[in-house]
Amino acid sequence: MAAMGASGEKITVSGFRHYFRTDGGRVQATGLVDLAIQPGEFVTLVGPSGCGKTTLLKAIAGFITPSEGTILCDGRPVRGPGRDRGVVFQELAILPWRTVRRNIGHGLEIARVPKAERERQVARLIDLMGLAGFEDRYPHELSGGMKQRVAVARTWAAEPEIILMDEPFAAVDAMTRLTLQEELARLCATTRKTVFFITHSVEEAVFLADRVLVMTRRPGTIKAELVVPRHGTGGRDWDSFTADAEMRGIAEQVMHLVHAERVG
Amino acid sequence: MKAERIIWRLLPLVPAMIVLATWSVYWAIAQPPPSVMPSVAAVIRTFGELVMGDRLGNDIVASMARLLGGVAFGVVTGMIAGFVAGLNKPIAEFVNPLVVFFNAISGIVWLPLVIGWLGIGSPLAIFLIWNTVFFIVYQNTVLGVQLVPEVLEHGIRTLGANRWETVWSVTLPGALPYILSGIRSGLGFGWRALIAAELVGATTGLGQLIFSGSEYHRADIIICGCLIIGAIATAMDRCLLLPIERRTVQRWGLVAPDRSR
Amino acid sequence: MRRRLRSFGGLLRNVRVLLPFIVLIAIWWGIKSGFGVSDRLLVAPPAVWSSFVTLVSHGILAEYASTSLQLIGIAALVSFAAGVPIGFAVGANRYAARSLEGFLRFFQGISGIAWLPLAILWFGFTHTTTLAIVIYTLIVPIIFNTMVGVRAIPENYVLALRSLGASRLRIVRDVYLPGALPSIVVGTRLGMGYGWRALIASEMLVRQGGLGDLIFGARTFNQIDRIMVGMIVIGCLYIVVDRLLVQPVETMTLARWGVLRR
Repeated sequence: MAAMGASGEKITVSGFRHYFRTDGGRVQATGLVDLAIQPGEFVTLVGPSGCGKTTLLKAIAGFITPSEGTILCDGRPVRGPGRDRGVVFQELAILPWRTVRRNIGHGLEIARVPKAERERQVARLIDLMGLAGFEDRYPHELSGGMKQRVAVARTWAAEPEIILMDEPFAAVDAMTRLTLQEELARLCATTRKTVFFITHSVEEAVFLADRVLVMTRRPGTIKAELVVPRHGTGGRDWDSFTADAEMRGIAEQVMHLVHAERVG
Repeated sequence: MKAERIIWRLLPLVPAMIVLATWSVYWAIAQPPPSVMPSVAAVIRTFGELVMGDRLGNDIVASMARLLGGVAFGVVTGMIAGFVAGLNKPIAEFVNPLVVFFNAISGIVWLPLVIGWLGIGSPLAIFLIWNTVFFIVYQNTVLGVQLVPEVLEHGIRTLGANRWETVWSVTLPGALPYILSGIRSGLGFGWRALIAAELVGATTGLGQLIFSGSEYHRADIIICGCLIIGAIATAMDRCLLLPIERRTVQRWGLVAPDRSR
Repeated sequence: MRRRLRSFGGLLRNVRVLLPFIVLIAIWWGIKSGFGVSDRLLVAPPAVWSSFVTLVSHGILAEYASTSLQLIGIAALVSFAAGVPIGFAVGANRYAARSLEGFLRFFQGISGIAWLPLAILWFGFTHTTTLAIVIYTLIVPIIFNTMVGVRAIPENYVLALRSLGASRLRIVRDVYLPGALPSIVVGTRLGMGYGWRALIASEMLVRQGGLGDLIFGARTFNQIDRIMVGMIVIGCLYIVVDRLLVQPVETMTLARWGVLRR
């Protein structure tokens, strides 16, 4: 039974459920998941380890075929990875043998964007991501935080329909992580994109999101959804975020919901 | 899926099966003379004969003895020289160009010269193997010793250890990954040097077995000999080096630098 | 002023390299004359030098050396041209890699030299025999290391590129080739080490030219001076080929990309 995407929805997930096959039989990776992502919104998904959020992201990205259910992107069924769904991974996925500049421009290269235009876009992103001065360095010369900036820049430059981010800041140290979150928030405020971001950090989820989805523990389903109102057009910053009582309240609610999953 | 598991298990046998199948088909169609290509059955038969006979046993023992002698010599001298040089930067630097040069001609290249000194037979083979193994083990030992973090040595000195104790309890284990890597490389090159030496300058041994095969136009003997050589080489690596590596280097969490493979 | 300092530094470096050899030659000469070692065992440096001059001036050395270099050159080209694509094809497919890994390792244990008698039976005492043996010796490590190199590439790189819309061909060009390169280079270096020795050994048996033939042939006439010239030339040639060709590629790739290997 094919699901019809409501008009204008960027991503429609209906009846999604996934299993893995092992020696012992079938292991459920996720429970039943239905969700929709509207164009231009930043949706975060937070849940305990092993709940299946990465599996869901991989299915949307097209890396795995769902055992059950359908996934539509702009109304069209998802079949394998593609330009329309950009991905930022947790581990290093930028190419070690390309400079920062050439990594960021890689998507544009693939799309055969003419050199001049490509260079312009790359320069813009280098500026936006604070990578100025490092354009001609190789990844192994960069810190963990810088490498992830390059990864984000690369995905952004390719201008996909939606950007999927799989705990991109989990491997970075705590201080840098806060900076990267603010930068990402600022980036999204400047360049209206649709983003699906998964994490197991509640603060991160609330800080970045327009809408927070909470997943149960394995096999995960989406048990709650909270809207995080935006005030002003700029990106959020941690100082005002932590001072804002409303934000704190939402964060506590989400925390409560997530912690409830950790019992037992 | 059970079937997938079984297939996965059996995959390594596939290339051998393909080779045997192609060989048999070719032999059946082209009927080549036995001196060029024997049938699979003939090779199996010859293998049985060799195993039953006493020549093979003697040859294997002779080859192994030479290998053992040459490698043992090479490893011991290489390690001692390597430690002396590794702990003395000026010596290591001075000697380095010589080492690079002699490593370039190690092994079989010495044969024409040394055959005049030692004649044919075991001493020649052992010399060539020693020559090959020594330089490789030396280089790896020097590198390993130099790369042991100084802080480890300093730490032990502040606990009151003297020079010898430091070398024994810190430098040696610390350099072990590189030394083992060198021994592994050395064994690979040494084994080759052995076969080459026996092909040309010996009366017993696996190399000589194969060579006699060509003299009597017995391709089946040659093939058997080669397969036996391969089996022994694989066995040496699997049963000797891997366990040693596992119980020392891997257990200690040190990374063995794979400079050879 | 700077240029003079730099050239002085260069001079110092050259002396550093040559000094140990000068010491060695002195020791050699000392042993030879001091102990009165027979000419049939060891020959003094001046004799080796004059032999070298003779061989060069009569073009003999050039001929033998060029035969060796040609053979190793052809073998290297063929092994590379065939070995790398095969290694890629195998490495890219899980099942192919699994089936061939043990097989290749087994054959890496059977050195090319062991197959020499068989090659002689098939191709006789010709250059074809030598080529066959050297190609075999070179190609196995190249295939093996290419395969390993391809399989060591993290899957994420490929997935990331697919999420950027890259085609299969693109991924081969931008990920597989550069990613496997360090491993390929290591395999080539190892192969050349084995291959050069296999070449000399083969030339010794086949006796159709080449440096192995030169030094082995000189043994028949007890021309120790010739043997030593040959040995020195063999050593120098190998070092030149290794340092000038292979090592730069290795440093270039590893330095550029950081340490990529496991």
